[in-house]
Amino acid sequence: MAETTFKAKRKPGPIRFATLGAWGISLLFFLPVAWIISTAFKPKESIVVSPPVFFFKPTFNNITEALSFDNTLDYFIHSIVYSFGSVTIAILVSYLAAYSFSRYKPAGTDFLMFLLLSTRFVPAAAFVVPYFQLFNLLKLKDSYIGLIAFYTMFSIPFSVWILKGFLDGISQRYDETGLVYGASRWHIMFKVILPQVKPGLVASFVFNILFVWNEFLFNFQLGGAKTFGVPVGLFTGSTKGGAIDWAYVASIGTLYVLPLVVVIYAFQKYLLVGLTFGTVRGEV
Amino acid sequence: MADLALDVKGLSKSYGNKVVLDNLSFTAATNDFSVICGKPGNGKSVLVRTIMGLETVDAGSIIVRGKDVAKVSAGERNIGYVPQSFALYPHYSVQENIEYPLTLSKATAATKKEAVERVAELLRIKDLLGKKPEQLSGGQKQRVAIARGLAKTTDVYVLDDPLVGLDFKLRERLIDDLRKTQEELKVSFVYLTSDALEALSLARTVMILAQGKIVQQDSLDVVYDLPNSIASMNSLGFPEANILPGELSGTIFTSVLGSTKVKMDSNATNVVAGIRPEGFFIGSGAGSIDAKVGLLENLGSEFAVYFNIKNSDLVTVISRTDNESLAKLKSKNVSISYKPDAVVIFDAQSGKRVGQGVSHV
Repeated sequence: MAETTFKAKRKPGPIRFATLGAWGISLLFFLPVAWIISTAFKPKESIVVSPPVFFFKPTFNNITEALSFDNTLDYFIHSIVYSFGSVTIAILVSYLAAYSFSRYKPAGTDFLMFLLLSTRFVPAAAFVVPYFQLFNLLKLKDSYIGLIAFYTMFSIPFSVWILKGFLDGISQRYDETGLVYGASRWHIMFKVILPQVKPGLVASFVFNILFVWNEFLFNFQLGGAKTFGVPVGLFTGSTKGGAIDWAYVASIGTLYVLPLVVVIYAFQKYLLVGLTFGTVRGEV
Repeated sequence: MADLALDVKGLSKSYGNKVVLDNLSFTAATNDFSVICGKPGNGKSVLVRTIMGLETVDAGSIIVRGKDVAKVSAGERNIGYVPQSFALYPHYSVQENIEYPLTLSKATAATKKEAVERVAELLRIKDLLGKKPEQLSGGQKQRVAIARGLAKTTDVYVLDDPLVGLDFKLRERLIDDLRKTQEELKVSFVYLTSDALEALSLARTVMILAQGKIVQQDSLDVVYDLPNSIASMNSLGFPEANILPGELSGTIFTSVLGSTKVKMDSNATNVVAGIRPEGFFIGSGAGSIDAKVGLLENLGSEFAVYFNIKNSDLVTVISRTDNESLAKLKSKNVSISYKPDAVVIFDAQSGKRVGQGVSHV
């Protein structure tokens, strides 16, 4: 296969002290994750021992046991539904908003953009009680609609910012050419421009999924038995038996990061571009 | 007026206090290659955008095929369009890009295939159809953009400076292609350019756009030989015409070139003179002046010769084969003369043509 690809192979550079140092620091930071994942596969009796055991016969017992608890699967389903649901809606709404800001530039666009982001200035703790009361009043507590609406609202500001940056980088000549050839605005938005901001969509999707997937406080306060996600499940489940159940924490933790690893790995190609916020683009 | 492809009347457009199009009018005959030539910053882009429907007009009408489309949406005007920027959709192949206007009008697959083959043949890009825009060179992208503009069959096409930024050789070839294309299709081309050379090589009818107005519309020869204003003289021709301040007393115009007898068509007294580079020649004779030769610029078949008379910088051109003149230029001090009838007198205020040179004094 090597002959068919024209991509220049990158020659491995000399291994320098700095490179080794960088790797060392990276691995150091990865240790807690490695510990969680390895613990999930350790036999129960060698989890909390001193000195720690590094070599062991991996077992799936911890994971199957954790999954066999009544609520475990429910937590995962809840998490997936409200995370992916809210972020998908948020991206769609944000795209429409960002397109308007970028193309129509309504009076005071800069101020409106600032205002949008300012909703995220206040610490979450300040909102918990008012939201709790609001959700009770509106009978939205422990409902998907309530949680999805809340997380959508939380995801929109960043998404609009990211997407507007990308859209500003896409020349308006594309829109105009489409208009002249008889395309409708909807066609231009979704068939002409949208494919060109894929990295932006992926970047905002991943950023927001990371946030919503890991969010604990509001899920705990505004959710309930029908909508608790994995973070709440992990929190309540880890101390079920009185002592901390490390096998449970490690197993659920491992399963919990899997969807994110899959999402990020699948979109890696776009994410690399996405993290530059699409601002580096030439005229067409 | 069925023989007009485009009839623009009294077009005006301002942004705040800035008047961009100022009661602009012109006509483009059917089956003609009309060229609008204007230097950057004279409203060219805005004019295209208003014709195409991308910008609203403050006043005026844009009559296409006998119908005023000034308030019709861009998509319904049915004008072929080649934008200045290629704006090829990066996520479509060349073929999909070309057939895009047809896809939008829900043409059948057979129609699209036929149209793509026709324009691909015309612009010699058949071998590019499967590629993505990012794989193309600048010239190829430009051809694809032109092909896309021509794919949808209509009878009026607007081409907005489509060759800008391309290298010289490629431009010459595409200019040739465009002329042939227009003749083969028997349609009307309205071509806007900021390049005087391009205008000269393409136009049959040329319009000079200056300060948001069409200042002159006529056949190329008339506009070149009898420019009706400074703007008109400056916009066509390369190197640019020389503009000389001077004094008019009676019928004698005096400038750094000495005195010239002129024939005046008006009683303007505050005037300037314009003289094209080819109005000068190297050598002594009636009315010759001592000049210091500066830079020689090689333009290929000719040289642009920059020279200085009494602290005025002027330019002329001499042919590459004119060995006699080239030999004289070896010395930095030469005698230069001018053809008196090449001197055009303009009103200094309005820029309008008010007279012409007759003889040396």
